[in-house]
Parts: sequence; structure tokens; C-alpha cells
Amino acid sequence: MKHDYLDKYSGLDSVLRRLDPRTKIFAFFSAIVIIVSEPKGELFPFIFYSVALGSLIMAGRIPLKFVLSRCLIASPFILMAALLLPLSLLFSGPIKSDVFSVNMAALSGSILLKAYSALILVVLLTSTDKFHRLLKGLRSLGMPSVLGAMSALMYRYIFILNDERLRTNRARESRTPGRLKISRFKVLGHQAAMIFLRSWDRAHTVYQSMLSRGFDGSFPEFEGLAFHRRDLVFIIGFFIIMSVIRIYA
Amino acid sequence: MPEPKNCPFSVVLENVTFAYGENSALKSVSLEVRKQERFGIIGPSGAGKSTLLLHLNGLLRGEGRVIIEGLELRKETLAEVRKRVGLVFQNPDDQLFNPTVEEDIAFGLLNMEINKEKIRIMIKDTLRLMNLEGFEGRTSHHLSFGERKRVALATVLAMQPDVIAFDEPFSNLDPATIKQFIKTIKNLDATVLIVSQQILPVLACCDRIAVMNEGTILKVGSPDEIMADKALLEKCRLDVSFYADIFKNHLS
Repeated sequence: MKHDYLDKYSGLDSVLRRLDPRTKIFAFFSAIVIIVSEPKGELFPFIFYSVALGSLIMAGRIPLKFVLSRCLIASPFILMAALLLPLSLLFSGPIKSDVFSVNMAALSGSILLKAYSALILVVLLTSTDKFHRLLKGLRSLGMPSVLGAMSALMYRYIFILNDERLRTNRARESRTPGRLKISRFKVLGHQAAMIFLRSWDRAHTVYQSMLSRGFDGSFPEFEGLAFHRRDLVFIIGFFIIMSVIRIYA
Repeated sequence: MPEPKNCPFSVVLENVTFAYGENSALKSVSLEVRKQERFGIIGPSGAGKSTLLLHLNGLLRGEGRVIIEGLELRKETLAEVRKRVGLVFQNPDDQLFNPTVEEDIAFGLLNMEINKEKIRIMIKDTLRLMNLEGFEGRTSHHLSFGERKRVALATVLAMQPDVIAFDEPFSNLDPATIKQFIKTIKNLDATVLIVSQQILPVLACCDRIAVMNEGTILKVGSPDEIMADKALLEKCRLDVSFYADIFKNHLS
């Protein structure tokens, strides 16, 4: 089965795509820290941040619809945080003066905007580079190799799991003329168990094939990463823009 | 501690016995495969064929001896044996786990501690051999099944093993790809072991065939000798003579 839903736009040629993954990891995570450090209830700077993020989306040639759909997936969690966090501040112990100094709606709004900005940056990161290159970048930036190997394998097994899910879905649908007559939960429960067992079995075979080619627990690197002048220019430029917004807006 | 390869047999199994829990899968199997021979192992489902294959490079370890190119499989020789025996799994998705075709082929070579520049050349040569030129940067889960099957073979071929063992190489392939695979297998510069339920392609590319059932080898012989033993084939649910009738009916 063919899959391209995880790294759908990572193969597109764009300015961002040509950057070293380490550049993007460093720049985008720095931007997240800068945005998150905005004072509570501050909304005005987000006009400038959204312009900066919009420019990055355009530079990455990522369709806006795709970015919005990814934001929609995380929306329930973000909305819950945006609504509950101000309330929790209000009801936790003695009321602090600074909580009242900002408007509650502005507080919720700033949480919402911070979360969506961070999310858009992560979507940009994962959509402008292949997952394995990002992992390489993280590894060379000091991520523990065990964590890197686990992430690489997890990424591989997502496809196995999805393969099995699609197969069992087809098997179920092909024998379901009309509406499902049995309890949907029962069927889905059995299906989930079967997907897990089959995936476990296939994961075992994948491991055997790795062993048969000399796997000893470490993933040898074949292609290295290259840091160019354009990466340095991007980091400095992006950092300056984000800092200026943070300080002066 | 590399041992000499100048023995007449590529693969020798002596009384290999293995069980999954209480279910006996191999019962004292002995076998000798000559250098550069194309050797087929046929048998019904559950005969123990794939289990036997996994013993060749130590993925399963039972009782008895496994000797590859004169080197007995032991804990201390495991790494060397794995260099000498390449396994091609039935499902290519089980074999391809790296992000790109190039890195999948490089995986085994890097584990053999080969220089990266040499690896690059080996990858190019192997892809050319498998008619997969230009596939270096492709992601395996974006390829067709036939292409993935060829990439899976390429990952093993690149390691230049002395023995290549195939598990059901002809399953899920269209007739044209099977024909192409038979040609590829015939031209390989290695000893080849093929485990399959599909007799016709095995007949087409093997010098000798072993018939296996219920964990034992019942007969070893040339393709003609095996096909002549109809009783044995019927007993092992391997009789394919009805295909001849089908052909006859439709050609006349």
C-alpha cells in the first residue's frame, strides 16, 4: 500500500525545503520560545507574528488548507486549554492582582494564539523536510541516539499499523452490506486487537530482517547533513525579525 | 577468525531440529547444497520451509549443526555467517525499513563497515543490476509491490553474500514479473536457496529440489525426478498436473 499522508509536502522544492533540517529545528523552536514568552493577554504582536508565519507558509509552498486542517486536529486541546487555564487561575487560591489586570478574554486569546503559532511552526517544520532528515538533524543537535532509533522505528511502524488498519477496514466493509447490525464497539474492539496482533507479528519480522543484515542495535548513518551559508543567513534573519516583534511590538 | 571457504558445499545442515513451544517444526533435517547451485525447497503450508530458512543465518537456533561455506554457525561466528547468507523475505515491506531506497541498501553495507564511497558505488551497481536506476532517493512505501520486491532483493545483493535464500519469492507477482525474477535468480553469482509453494517457477530455475512436509525432508532430486513422483506430490498437496489439463483444454 502506498502512503503519503505523513510527509505529503516534504518533497516539494522550496526555499525552506532547501535549508538544513538543523537550521529549521533551531529557528522554529527559538521562535516558539519567543512567542510563548509574550506577556499574558498581549494580542497586538500576533498581527506581526501572523505575517511572519504567513510568509513562511508561502516560502514553504504549503497549501493553507493543509495547515488549517492540521490546526483543526489539535483545536479541541487548544480550545480547552484556552478556556480552562484562565478559569483555573481565577479559582486557584487567593486571587492575584495581575490576573485581574488583564482582561480574561485577552488572556484566553493570547493562549489560543500562542498555541496556534507554535502548532503552525511545527507543521511547517514537518512539512518542509522528510521525517528521517529531521531525525538526523535532532540527533546531530544532541538528541540521545536511543530516542532517535525509537522515533525512526516508530515512524516505520506507523505505516505497518496503517496498512493493517486499511486491510481490516476493507475486510469489515466488504462484508457489511448496508448498516452494521452488530455492536460497532464490539467490531471495532476486535479489529483493534487484530491490528495490534498482526502489527506485532510484522514488527517481529522486520526486526528479523534487520538482524539478518547485521543490525546490532545502532543505526549507521549513510548520508550526512550539510550546513550552508544560506542556513546562517536564514537563522540570523529570522531570529532578528522575531526578536524585533517580541521587543518592539 | 575467518575460516576458509574452500569446501564443496555452500550449505550443510546436520540433524537440525526445532520446535515452537511444543509444536515441532523441524525434525532432524539434514541437507547439503553445492556451491553455486540453485536449490528449491517445496512443501505445503506449515511444512517447516521458512523455519528452515531462518536457521541459515541464525535468526532461529535449534539443535544440530548449520555450516555455511565451511563455517559452523555458533555464537562467535554469527556475524560472519550473516555476511555470508542473505535472506530475502516473502513480504518486501518486512525488509524495507529505512526512509529511502539508498539507505535501505546501505544499511547492511554500513553494518559490514564498508567505506561510504565504496558503498555509493555498490548501491549504483546493484540498482543498475535490478533495473532500478534513479530509485536512490525514493521512499519504499511509495513504490509498487513489484518494485519493492526488487528493492528488497537489491538490499541483499549489495552485500554480495555467498548464499542467497528466498522465502516465497514468486508470491503476489504477475506472470511477467515472475519470468523476470526467474531470469534474475538464474543469473545470480551465488548459491541460491528458494523456499516456495509455487512449484512451476521453482522447476524453472532450480537444479535440485527437496520436498518437505511436517518438518522433514522426504525427497531430494532433480526437477524431473521430483515431478515423476506423483504419489509424493499428491501426498504433500503439491500435485500440479491439473494445470497441464487446463492448458491442453484451452489450447486445443
